Amino acid sequence: MTTSDDSKFAFPKMDRREFLSTTAAMTVVAGVSMPQLAFGADKVVKIGFLAPLTGDVAAWGKPGYDGCLIWADWVNAAGGVKVGGDAYKVEFVAYDNEYDPAKARAGATKLIKEDGVKFVMMLGGDTWPGVEKIAAKEGMLFSTLLPSDLTPETKTLLAPCEVHPIYNVTGVEWMAEQFPDLKKAVICAQDDALGKPSVATYLAAFEAAGIDVVDDPLFFDPATTDFAPVMTKLLASKPDILCLDTCYADYVHPLCEQAFQQGFKGKIISCTMDFYQKVIEKTSQEFMEGVIFQFPDFDDPALNDAKVNFQKPNEFYAEYAKRYGESEWGAVSWEYASIMDLWADGASKAGSVEPGDVLEAMKAGGKGKHAFGTADWWGTELFGIDNALVGDWPVVVIEGGKAKIKGFKSIPAWWAKHSDLMVKHFKALGQMYNQR
Amino acid sequence: MPERSIRLGQVLAFIALMAGLVLLPHVLSYSQQEVLVFLVINVLVVVSYRLLTLTGEWSLGHVVMVGVGAYASALFTKKLGVPVPLSMLCGAVTAAAVAFVLSFPLFRMKGFYFLIGSFAAGEIIRLIWKRFTDPFGGPKGIKRIPGFPDIEFGALSIDFFEPVNYYYFCVIVVGLALLILYRIERSRIGLTFHAIHWQDKLAESVSVDTFRYRMLAFVIASFFAGLGGALFAHYVGTVNPKLFDVEQMVYVLIWAIVGGTTTFYGPIMGVVALTIINEIVLRSLGVDEMRPMFYGAILILSVLFLPTGLESIASKVKAWFAGSSRDKTATG
Amino acid sequence: MELLLQTITNATYAASYMALIAVGLVLIFGVMGVINFAHGELYMAGAYSVVYLYTDLKMPFFLAVAAGLIFVGLLGLVMERALFRPLRDNPLGGLIASIGFLLILQTVAVLGFGVRMEHVPPSTQEKIFLTEGVVLTVQRLYVIVATVVLLGGLWLFLRKSKFGWALRACAQDPEAAALQGISLNHTARLAMFIGAALAGVAGALTAPLVSPTPHMGHAVIVTAFIIIIVGGIGSLEGAVIAAVLYAFVHTFVTTFYDGVIANIVGLSLMLAVLVVRPTGLFGAKDRA
Repeated sequence: MTTSDDSKFAFPKMDRREFLSTTAAMTVVAGVSMPQLAFGADKVVKIGFLAPLTGDVAAWGKPGYDGCLIWADWVNAAGGVKVGGDAYKVEFVAYDNEYDPAKARAGATKLIKEDGVKFVMMLGGDTWPGVEKIAAKEGMLFSTLLPSDLTPETKTLLAPCEVHPIYNVTGVEWMAEQFPDLKKAVICAQDDALGKPSVATYLAAFEAAGIDVVDDPLFFDPATTDFAPVMTKLLASKPDILCLDTCYADYVHPLCEQAFQQGFKGKIISCTMDFYQKVIEKTSQEFMEGVIFQFPDFDDPALNDAKVNFQKPNEFYAEYAKRYGESEWGAVSWEYASIMDLWADGASKAGSVEPGDVLEAMKAGGKGKHAFGTADWWGTELFGIDNALVGDWPVVVIEGGKAKIKGFKSIPAWWAKHSDLMVKHFKALGQMYNQR
Repeated sequence: MPERSIRLGQVLAFIALMAGLVLLPHVLSYSQQEVLVFLVINVLVVVSYRLLTLTGEWSLGHVVMVGVGAYASALFTKKLGVPVPLSMLCGAVTAAAVAFVLSFPLFRMKGFYFLIGSFAAGEIIRLIWKRFTDPFGGPKGIKRIPGFPDIEFGALSIDFFEPVNYYYFCVIVVGLALLILYRIERSRIGLTFHAIHWQDKLAESVSVDTFRYRMLAFVIASFFAGLGGALFAHYVGTVNPKLFDVEQMVYVLIWAIVGGTTTFYGPIMGVVALTIINEIVLRSLGVDEMRPMFYGAILILSVLFLPTGLESIASKVKAWFAGSSRDKTATG
Repeated sequence: MELLLQTITNATYAASYMALIAVGLVLIFGVMGVINFAHGELYMAGAYSVVYLYTDLKMPFFLAVAAGLIFVGLLGLVMERALFRPLRDNPLGGLIASIGFLLILQTVAVLGFGVRMEHVPPSTQEKIFLTEGVVLTVQRLYVIVATVVLLGGLWLFLRKSKFGWALRACAQDPEAAALQGISLNHTARLAMFIGAALAGVAGALTAPLVSPTPHMGHAVIVTAFIIIIVGGIGSLEGAVIAAVLYAFVHTFVTTFYDGVIANIVGLSLMLAVLVVRPTGLFGAKDRA
């Protein structure tokens, strides 16, 4: 993590070795893609990007849009997406919804009716209910990062990348296998749309693994600024495992720091650990050693496994770091781009860019090429519709100050054994689709 | 004779305004029609806010009252099955009732203390929405609020999900509301509001119960704010606590201040001008991140150089044309 | 027992930085009669000074804090000259202008540093065990010590120096003070510099503890309002006592109940004080 000293006012520095390797990567990319270059690639397909780009939720939209721009540059440089006999260049049209459902509604109509987009990617959450009826009315294909937006009523909304928070079971399962003597857990989360279903998932995963959650889950207000009291309360029951749920980075960092300072010696498990290098700076490498989470760095060699469908993950990471700075990489940086891979695959298969055709092709056979390997369209029991793509998900552990993929675990396999537990905890926290 | 010509002029202006309002959506793009619906609702919010400011009190809880109307109307339809047009009225009444109850603590305060007190009361209401998931839905709020029902009129069917149709509906409702607000201001009650603002000790000495009039202004303003919230809720289909936070309140304050609050039309000018700048001009320039800065700069400049808001420009223009100072700002 | 002592330690830290912010806000209100809504953004500006100077440019931490103090103090001077002085006869106008300034400061932070939170590595990893299992980190201790020193210094300054005397005179009665030959502009500048600098230094010192974001001022300003209302809006001593009271109530309710309830309790406390005793628990005069 050598570029952490980059000033925000300067361009990210790049040393020569890095430069050579990225140039080499680019050449390889160009070389590989050459033969695909189609004849007369003049057609353009527009894709809508409807997410918060300003305001305090922008961190969940903007980095993903940045990733999409790389994706578009690469795909267009390679001639575009092949659909039927044509090659389409991809153009993104962004609309900042400020995480406001009313603005999302206006944005959705603009993207669909005026820009003529064929697919709209959203963060979802608070903004989705404002768009729901338009999606149904227009038959437009939408994607969300938050499968809790899925309902049986909207057939054209997909959660094709991050089936939050179901994949969290993989981390718990792995931990229970590796450290069978850790038995007492505590859990905390911010009290919002991300925190609650994630807590239900972790409670189910802990129960399945025979781990006791010794205290009620602690929900804190998203406006909390001082986490010392929260941590004091959590550590009061002397847990072996500290579960940080799906806390935003703004909370994960101070929580880890407080755990460190208040002398926690056990295991930390979390959904995300964005900018973990910075957490290490604030705590210590020893303290953060062995922390388990779910989001790999994309320079991880394990992602070059043949089953991984994300296109050139290592190169993508290098290019992202080059354009925006290595410290900007986060969980959402690759997610929207990976959804685009799926969409492009669907469009190629369908031989059409029309939303209905692409949707049908994407879901054909009940399988999809998820970023981390072929996965199943699933979700009826939790969301009322099989529009979430689940398969394997990586378990990531910090080793020697660097995130490493320790293995891929299957979500469907866990689900086959413990679905009743998940449904039980989802119901208890009011997170089932028919309770929302 | 001159009187009749003025009347005729007014009638003509009124007809022109009506025609303009009817034609307006048809010169706009579809997404601009969406923005227009929210603009009409915001006009009601900011004009009702002005009624309260007539008594000299500035509230920071007005947007929360909009939220009370929105939440109440949504819950009346979702939990109790009240049909939508009726639930909108129920929402407005609920907001008025909440304002009535809050009057007792809040109007023990004046000026700055009222400002902060209204802020605290509003934040408490918002935190209650956040904390008590049943029935308020917690931080995610309420989803799938039923929309305004379609009207089937023989062969004619009106779908209020379409922005044009809902726009016409809102224009009628908001138009009526503005008419009522205008009549109130011109009535003895309205004059008493003004009197309280400028001379509350004097008003009291001639046995005007200032508490009751302040309360009345607050309740009426909240009723119409709640109505605005209800119009919003059944159009967007969702409400959550974040929609009614102090940031939104700041925008209402900016609309009112930039437009000016001494005349009835000042705040309307403010909200129309700033919405056009924000949603059409700044968005098309692609300077999303800069938008708050523009708002801030406009706010500062208007406070420094247009102390009575855009309306001061309007009245200058009016004076220019009329060649006289038949200017109603004198009463404010 | 450990839990109780740790909670008291946590509350002491919280009381410290809240007191710094609230005292600055009260000072500005006392002398100029205007509520500075941008006070939370001054705190944010202090934190970003440390982000830029200490994290990015690798300056020593305390030098960065000192620079942050001066920088935010200067921002205060700019506000005084550009906004509050022209609007001296219009307290509501001053408040509105400060909201405009707040939006500008936020945007500048977003443009300069991005919307994401910033990371400020701690300047020290030392910690002190008060007793077995009760820990106070030195980074937090800095905040507590700085608060005591700065507020103690301010108190002496206000009591002993000629400037302080002028400042208090203006706070009590600006017109009478002007008749005494005290320059209102001069005192206003001084109050604004000190008030802003206190918010800035609070932001600078806590930057390694909170992960600064451009929107961090919002939570702080709400808390600061509660404190100055409870403490009595013109009273510096009241602000300090109220900060301690609020921090303890909030920290204890958070630890033993939950954070949202703690916020509701805080706001209700403020509303109750406003209803029962609008001049605050410790305030004497009414300027509104």
